[in-house]
Amino acid sequence: MKKYILSFALACMSLLSFAQANYEKVMTEKIAKIETCKTPEDFQALANDFQRIAEKETTKWLPNYYAAFAYIQKGRVLMREGKMQELDAVADQAQKFIDAAESVEKENSEIHLLQKMVYSLKMMVNPQERYMTFGMKAQDELNKAEKFNPNNPRVTLIKAEDIYFTPEQYGGSKIKGMELFKAALEKFNSFKPKTSLEPNWGKEEAAYFIGLEKAK
Amino acid sequence: MKTKLLFLISFFSFALSFSQTKITGKVTFKNKGIGEINVTLKDTYDGATTDSDGNFSFETSEKGNQILTFTHPKYNEVQKPIVIEDKDVSVNTELKEQINEIDAVVISAGSIEASDRKRATALLTPIDIYTTAGADGQISSALTYLPGVQKVGETEGLFVRGGTGTETKIFMDGSLINNYFSSSVPGIAGRDRFNTSLFKGNIFSSGGYSALYGQALSGALMLESVDLPDQSSYDFGVSPIFLNGGFQKLGDNKNYSYGATLGYSNLNLMQKIFNFNTNFIDAPQGLNGDANFRIKTKSGGFLKYYGMFDTNRMGVKTESLEPGYDFALVRLKGENTYHNLSFKQKFGKYLFNTSASYSYNQSDLNFSTETNQIESEKTELLNDGNYINFKAVIDRKINKISALRGGFELNYANEKLNFGEVNKNYRDLISSGFLETDLGFSNNLSAKIGVRAENSSYLNKNNLAPRFALAYRLAKDWTTSFAYGLFFQNPESKYINSSADLDFQKSQHYIFQVQRSTEGRSLRFEAFYKKYDELIKTQNIVPNSNQNQQVQTAFNNNGNGFAKGLEVFWRDKKTFENIDYWISYSFLNSKRDFLNYPVSLKPSFAAEHTISVVAKRFIPEWKTGVNLSYTYAKGRPYYDIVTQNDKNIIRNEGRLKDYNALNLSFNYLPNIGKKDSKAFTIFVLSISNILGNKNVYGYNFSQNGSRSSAVVPPVNTFVFVGMFISFGVDKTQDAINNNL
Repeated sequence: MKKYILSFALACMSLLSFAQANYEKVMTEKIAKIETCKTPEDFQALANDFQRIAEKETTKWLPNYYAAFAYIQKGRVLMREGKMQELDAVADQAQKFIDAAESVEKENSEIHLLQKMVYSLKMMVNPQERYMTFGMKAQDELNKAEKFNPNNPRVTLIKAEDIYFTPEQYGGSKIKGMELFKAALEKFNSFKPKTSLEPNWGKEEAAYFIGLEKAK
Repeated sequence: MKTKLLFLISFFSFALSFSQTKITGKVTFKNKGIGEINVTLKDTYDGATTDSDGNFSFETSEKGNQILTFTHPKYNEVQKPIVIEDKDVSVNTELKEQINEIDAVVISAGSIEASDRKRATALLTPIDIYTTAGADGQISSALTYLPGVQKVGETEGLFVRGGTGTETKIFMDGSLINNYFSSSVPGIAGRDRFNTSLFKGNIFSSGGYSALYGQALSGALMLESVDLPDQSSYDFGVSPIFLNGGFQKLGDNKNYSYGATLGYSNLNLMQKIFNFNTNFIDAPQGLNGDANFRIKTKSGGFLKYYGMFDTNRMGVKTESLEPGYDFALVRLKGENTYHNLSFKQKFGKYLFNTSASYSYNQSDLNFSTETNQIESEKTELLNDGNYINFKAVIDRKINKISALRGGFELNYANEKLNFGEVNKNYRDLISSGFLETDLGFSNNLSAKIGVRAENSSYLNKNNLAPRFALAYRLAKDWTTSFAYGLFFQNPESKYINSSADLDFQKSQHYIFQVQRSTEGRSLRFEAFYKKYDELIKTQNIVPNSNQNQQVQTAFNNNGNGFAKGLEVFWRDKKTFENIDYWISYSFLNSKRDFLNYPVSLKPSFAAEHTISVVAKRFIPEWKTGVNLSYTYAKGRPYYDIVTQNDKNIIRNEGRLKDYNALNLSFNYLPNIGKKDSKAFTIFVLSISNILGNKNVYGYNFSQNGSRSSAVVPPVNTFVFVGMFISFGVDKTQDAINNNL
C-alpha cells in the first residue's frame, strides 16, 4: 500500500516537474527568439507566443513581461519605419501585459523600465503635443526603474539611447550617450539575472553602439 | 512489480505525449487571408501566428478534444473544437470584424473634432491654436482659418456659413457659456475671455450638430476642459500689454487638483508706440482671474469647477458724422463672472453627466459728443444679465459603438436694460428635453438619430427639432457623411424692445461631406444647404437725437433666407519635414430677408469667397517655431438701412474692398528638451497684417445718410512680444525632506 502511495506521489511529482520543465523549456526557447526577430511581424508572432504562456501561467510575471517587451520592440521597429500612426495601438497592447505583470510582481525595475518604453512610444506619436504628459511620465518611470535596481544595465542602456538620439539643441549628446553605453556594457558584464529566464537582453545593443564609435 | 508497472505506464504515457501532431490552416476575412492572428490551442503553450497570407502551422503533443482559438484585437474571437488523434489536423476559419470605437466610421459632416486623440481626424488642438499666426491664441480666431467660418473683424462671435455671430453657441463641458466674449463697443470686436489652455480639445460644428445642443441656428463649439494636470506647476506671462500668473496644484494621490490665475492687461503702452486707427481716450484695460478645482471621487466620479471674473474698460473717440458735433465718444465698463460646476460618473452601462453654470454680465456704455472741446452730457446704456444653465444627460452604451442618450436642459436668462427712456426687463426660461441614439451597424456604417424639444417661457411657444446623420466608409481611408437637422433659436433679446408676438427662428441644414484621411494628411469636401425661416424682422428706432446709435426692435417673424456653399480643407503634416500646413477654401452664396432688410439681400457679414492658408514650421536647430497665416476674403456688401414712415429703405449700399492679411509669428523655446531644466520658457513675437493692408470692415452713416466713415481695425499692423514661463513644481526638495 505504501508503495502505491509512494509511486503515485512519485508519478505526480514527475508530472509536476515535467510541467515545470516544460515551462522553462518553452520560455528559454522563446526568449532565445528575441534576438532573431527583425520585422514587426516577427515581434507580433513572438508576443503571441508569450501571450499563450501568460494565459496559462497566470501567477508568473515573466510571460507577461516578455509579451509586453515583444510589443514594445514591434513598436520601436514601426517607429524607425516612420509608421507613427500605429504606435498608439501597439503601446496599448503592451500596456495590457505590463499591467498584468505588475499585478503579480511589484516594484520591479524591469517592469518599470518597460513602462517607461511604452510612455516613450506614446510620446513619439506626437512629441510636440505629448512631451509634457508622456515625456514626463516616461522620465518618472525611468527614475523608478533606477531606484528599484540601480545596477540594472538596461536602465542605463535606455538612458543612453535617449540621450544619444536626442538632438543636441534638445539637451542630447552623442558623447554623453556613448559614455552611458559604455557604462551600460560594464553593468552588463557584471550583471547576473536571478534565474535564467529573467530579463537579460540589451548587451548586444550596447555593444553595437560602442562598435559604431570604433568603426569611425 | 506493480510499482514498476505503474512507472512504466507513466513513462509510456509521457513518451506517447511526445508524439507530435501538426495543425495547419488558413484564417481569412472576407475571403482574404489575414496575418498576425494569434492561433492558440486553448490552455496550452501551443499555437502560432498567421503569416501575411493567413496561413499557420504548429505542432502539438496534446491529444483528444481540444479547442483552437483565433484572436486579434480587430476581429471577434473564434473558438473551434478539434479532435487531435494521430493524423495531422487542418482547420480553416473565417473571422468577423470586431466592431470597435477606434475603427468605427465617425460622423463628421459639419464637424471638426479636435479632442479625440485616438482618431487621426483630430484637426485642431490647443497647440495648433497657439501656433496659428494671427489667432492671438484665441480659439475663436483660430477657427476663422477653418472652412465655413467667416472673417468678420468688427464684431465678436463665430460667423458660420452665412449665419450671424450669435447663431453659433459656445459650450463648456456641455454647459452654455453666455459670455464667452468680452463686452465690446460698436465697431471693435470683443475678445475671447476664456484661456485656450483651459480646454484640452474642442468639437466645432459648422452645422448639423447633435440634439444635445440647441438655441443656435448655425453652429456649435463644444469645449472640453482639461482634467487633472499631470503635475503641479506655476507659471507667469509678461508682455507690454499684459501681466499674468497662476498655479496648478496636484494632490499627492493624484485624485484632486486646484489652481488659480490672475491677470492684468493694458494697451496704453502700445497705443503710444503704434499708429492706432482708433483714438482710445481710455486704452483698453482689464483685470481678470479664475480659479478651479477638480476632484476624482472614490466611486469613480469626476467633479470639476471653474470660475472666473473679468472686468474691462475702454473709451473711444471718433469724429462725429453729425453736423454741429466734432466728436462722438463712447466709454465702456464691463464686468462679468462665469461659474461652471460639472459632475460625471459611470454606473455600469450608464454614464451620468451633469453640469450647471451661472454667468453675470454687466456692460455699461456711455455715449457722448464733444463740440469745441466741451463734452456733452452722457447717455448711458446699461445692460445687466443673469444667466443660469443646467443640463443633465444620461448615456447608455448599447454595444461597443452604439449608445442611447437623453436628458434635459434648463436655460434661464434675466436681462435688464436701461437706455434713456427705455427700461427693459427681459426674462426667459427655455426648457428642453432631448433624446439621441448612435447606431453603429458595422465599422463602416453608422447613424445618429436625435430629437430635441424646447419650450420658451417668454415666447410661450414650443418646438420640436429632429436631427439625423449618417456616415459610411467608402474605402479604407475615404468616408462620406450626410447630416440633416432642424434648428431653432429664440430672437435675440437685444431686438426685443417693444411688445410683439414672436416665435422661434428656424433653420434647416443639409450637409454632405467626403473625407480622406491618412497618416498626417486629411482632405475634405463639404457641400451644404441651409434654409432659414421665421427670422425676425425689425425696424430702427432712434432713442436719442444726439447720437447715431440706432436701436432695432422686432415686430414679427416673417423673415427668411438661405445659404449654400462648398468648402475644401486640406491639411498635411507629412510632405515637408517639420512643416504642418493647411489650406481652406469656402464658397458661400447667401441671401436673407431679416432684421431691417427691406428685401432679400446678401448679408453684410457673408463673403462669397474665403481662402486661408496656415503654415507652421519648427526649426529644431534654432529651437524656434515659425508660423505664417494668410487670409483672403472677397469684399462683403454693406448697407445703410433706415426706417422711414414704418418702412425700411436702403439709403446707401456697396461692396467693401477685398480683405487681405498676412500674419507671422515666432515662438522661441530656449529650454526645450533640456532634461535638467526646471522652467519652460516661451518667447513669442507675432506680427499681424505684416504687409499693412488697410482693411475695411464696414461703414457708419450719419443720421441723414449724407456722410459716412469706414469701420477699420483699431490698428493695421500690430506687433506683440511676450514671454511665458512655467515651472513644474520642484520635487527634489520633497525628496530630500522625505529622506532625512
